[in-house]
Amino acid sequence: MVTGQTFVALLPELVAIGFLIGVLMVGVFFQNSIGLVAGLAALGTLAVFGSAAGLLAAGFEGEYFGGGFVVDNFALYFKLIVAGSAFFAVLAAARWSGNTGDAPEYLTLILAVVLGSILLVSMRDLFGVFLAIELATIPSYAMVAFDRRRRESAEGGMKYLITGVVASSVLLYGIVLIYGVSGSAQLDDVARTFSGGLTPVALLGLVLLLSGFAFKVSAAPFHFWTPDAYQGAPTSAAAFLSVAPKAATFAILLRILLEGMPEAAPTWTAVMAFLAILTMFVGNLAALRQRNVRRMLAYSSVAHSGYILAAFAALQGQGTGRAVEAVLIYSAAYAFMNIGAFLVIDLVGEEAKSFNGLFRTRPALAASMGVFMASLVGIPPFSGFWGKAWIIFSGAQSGSVLVYVVVGALVVNSVISVPYYFGIIRNMFFEKPTLDAAEPPGGGAVKFSVYALALLTALFFLLIVPISALAGGSGLG
Amino acid sequence: MITTITIFIPLIGAILMLLLPEQERPLRYAALAVAAVPLLLTLYIYFAYGSGLGVPSLTQDFDWIPSLNMGYRVGLDGLGFGMFFLTALLTLIAVVASYDVRENLKQYFAILFIAEVGMLGVFASEDLILFYIFFEITLIPMYLLVGIWGDQNRRQAAIKFFVYTFLGSTVMLAGFLAFGILAGTYAMDSLTAGGGLGRTAQIAIAAPILFGLLIKVPAVPLHGWLLDVYVSSPISTNVVLSGILPKLGTYGLIKVAIPLLPEGVEPFLPYLAAFGVINIVYGAFVAFLQPDLKALVAYSSIGTLGFILLGAASGNAVGLNGAVLQQVTHGLYSALLFVLVGVIAARTGTRRIRELGGLAARMPWAGGLLALGAMAAMGLPGLAVFVSEFMSIMGGYEAFPVQGVLAALGIVLSAMYLLYMLARVVFGPIERPAYEAIEDAGPMEMAAAVPLAVLLVLFGVFPALLVSVQRPGVEAVLSAIGGG
Repeated sequence: MVTGQTFVALLPELVAIGFLIGVLMVGVFFQNSIGLVAGLAALGTLAVFGSAAGLLAAGFEGEYFGGGFVVDNFALYFKLIVAGSAFFAVLAAARWSGNTGDAPEYLTLILAVVLGSILLVSMRDLFGVFLAIELATIPSYAMVAFDRRRRESAEGGMKYLITGVVASSVLLYGIVLIYGVSGSAQLDDVARTFSGGLTPVALLGLVLLLSGFAFKVSAAPFHFWTPDAYQGAPTSAAAFLSVAPKAATFAILLRILLEGMPEAAPTWTAVMAFLAILTMFVGNLAALRQRNVRRMLAYSSVAHSGYILAAFAALQGQGTGRAVEAVLIYSAAYAFMNIGAFLVIDLVGEEAKSFNGLFRTRPALAASMGVFMASLVGIPPFSGFWGKAWIIFSGAQSGSVLVYVVVGALVVNSVISVPYYFGIIRNMFFEKPTLDAAEPPGGGAVKFSVYALALLTALFFLLIVPISALAGGSGLG
Repeated sequence: MITTITIFIPLIGAILMLLLPEQERPLRYAALAVAAVPLLLTLYIYFAYGSGLGVPSLTQDFDWIPSLNMGYRVGLDGLGFGMFFLTALLTLIAVVASYDVRENLKQYFAILFIAEVGMLGVFASEDLILFYIFFEITLIPMYLLVGIWGDQNRRQAAIKFFVYTFLGSTVMLAGFLAFGILAGTYAMDSLTAGGGLGRTAQIAIAAPILFGLLIKVPAVPLHGWLLDVYVSSPISTNVVLSGILPKLGTYGLIKVAIPLLPEGVEPFLPYLAAFGVINIVYGAFVAFLQPDLKALVAYSSIGTLGFILLGAASGNAVGLNGAVLQQVTHGLYSALLFVLVGVIAARTGTRRIRELGGLAARMPWAGGLLALGAMAAMGLPGLAVFVSEFMSIMGGYEAFPVQGVLAALGIVLSAMYLLYMLARVVFGPIERPAYEAIEDAGPMEMAAAVPLAVLLVLFGVFPALLVSVQRPGVEAVLSAIGGG
């Protein structure tokens, strides 16, 4: 039954829809005022953030639409991450999309991805999950391909689209098989099916479902679209898409696995362990060879998907609760540092040598990038350290030898990643400047974002306790 | 509270540096003022609480992440106090000796102070994770100090340093985490004697921790990063780099590995002692072959660190006291030697030993102090290093006679190359006519060198000034490992 409470529960989504329409409309009527449109879009992301934060603060929880849509701390937390990331993406996009004349359309696409992603994390019905994923993904194809003047953008978008469609089909096939076995797509019913042991069809469904998700989160060996898509995409798109929809996808995967198929945990944790190890090595070894910083960050995002998958492998034994916390902490930590790093590229350029001597010409920017790079390596006290530490904690508590191997691989990979992240630091701090000291005009909003994100990355340890408390009350794990 | 304040004062100083305008003189004075504060606080602690620093005192303790039993726990004890003092002192000396740094001065000081936060924090940590965090905080500043302000080879040196030590500390962290998770806490005071773990578990945990610490020391053959870094650094960075950083490793041995995992470390102790001897002998031989004065000092450092390893491995009161004391005395003399190498290189334009000679005639002060530093490095009686080295060897001999005897031979070897160096560089005829015109060390250079020389003599004559403070801490370690 739809009551007033339902509307409250849907507040973030309704706000997102409202602003989405608003931005599009204002864009039509005020063609030339990019500032207004961008301001409205930024306000929209803040409003989504605010409404989710309000629900969280009020302790709002409940199930709606026959249990297919749920509002809990876990979902609200990821809505915060999505909306927060979108805010920075909008700030970054305003500068770029203003030059192309398509600002309203681009900003609308961001809001559409936000809408899909925040719906996604609340779904408890596999078909709803599929719809929400598509709602988040289809606009992201357009975002990647949006920079018509660059051939790579179209190429990246095309590759992303084709692999994305295949992934969606695989995912849908998996969902249908699970539905066929369970007779329902709701996670409670699915859980009942899986509790009786894995039938061959259910197993096939599970494998297809996991493969589809592996595509979506760019886990190896399904990652090959990632570098082309992120390299071709406008920087704000790469920054946003590598973080927000991905975090939402990891979140819903966590919900599906823990609520929908806890009994099959031995199977899927083993799959996750395998995927995690492969993804970490593939991502890091490929990133080592990149000279283009944006492409390097794209491969690094593959590696970071591997780290998160390591937390999924640790969802067993006493490590389960800690592993859920790890996913929550890592998602926020990664959002800060990765968006920040991409935005610096937006200001500086994507060739490694354009970072040469940045410390001399723009010390604050260089220091911020240094923070992001050190954080991506996992050096304390920055955010990335806490993300990785939590994964190691959960792995150690899981009591499984296989997971110890995964954690060992994570440690090894952290060391492998040092040369490429620190290569940037070396260029910035140790080389002579090649870039003109005079800064290009504009970019004030981007600079503000970079400094804000650097501060959040550096002071992340202050957020650890609230986040882990939230995870404890999330009901998952 | 005073411990926390002392640790984080340099952080405020670093921010202050960045806010100041880029004017050389005011910046240098401000940096001196900032660096003086932790030293003054440390001296205050010494005079107010010095004799009572047995078990951790002046502690501060609050649960940071209760669900993981992780806390912000700091305090000072006899083991850490000497290093706490040395860190504050050598940072001040590094600021004084920073006349070779000309560009980006404010950033230089800011980064140096951030490194100081990490170093002070390590020596005051009473929690394993906090120890690791402070341990790592030193990493990036050191990378930047070497990489930005070093000489031609600095880039390669910096990245080498980083990869080696990051590998070591990450492996060490894995050991810490396993320890904390199995024992249920990261608080060092509850972890004494293995935190209730069995022998096998302790050994499995001790191995990665020792590996990480030995890279930091560095124990031969894990020392591959050291030479490039020492030789490429600016002198003022050398002061900190050689004076403090290796002690993060040796201090970790004495404070963490040995007392917290006694049964786990025990099977490794003979090897630690052997590593110590290898360091001593290898360091001496390689130092002898160095054509570069700075490289010679760097390798002599490797040798002296061997005595700390030997003393720490001995597991008896004499050896441990020697090791703890040697950490401080090594910092004093190596800083002094590096400062003087800088003075000589600045005057003559070269660090190649064969191109130097007869400097005593023109630079009596610098030459004399170099001789004093070299004599300290040899372990001559009356100077601070003698006491600590003697104790380390005595303790080492008692526990591992073979290693002890070989270490004693190391003293002869070190005398050999240091005397050779002195004969070549300071005495003899003036090598080049151009050296007739050079001047002796100036007031700033003397201000960096003289306090170190004075302390070397002072602690040589009155070692009790330090030993009395550190003894209760050493006794705590001994009781943890069941010795006496």
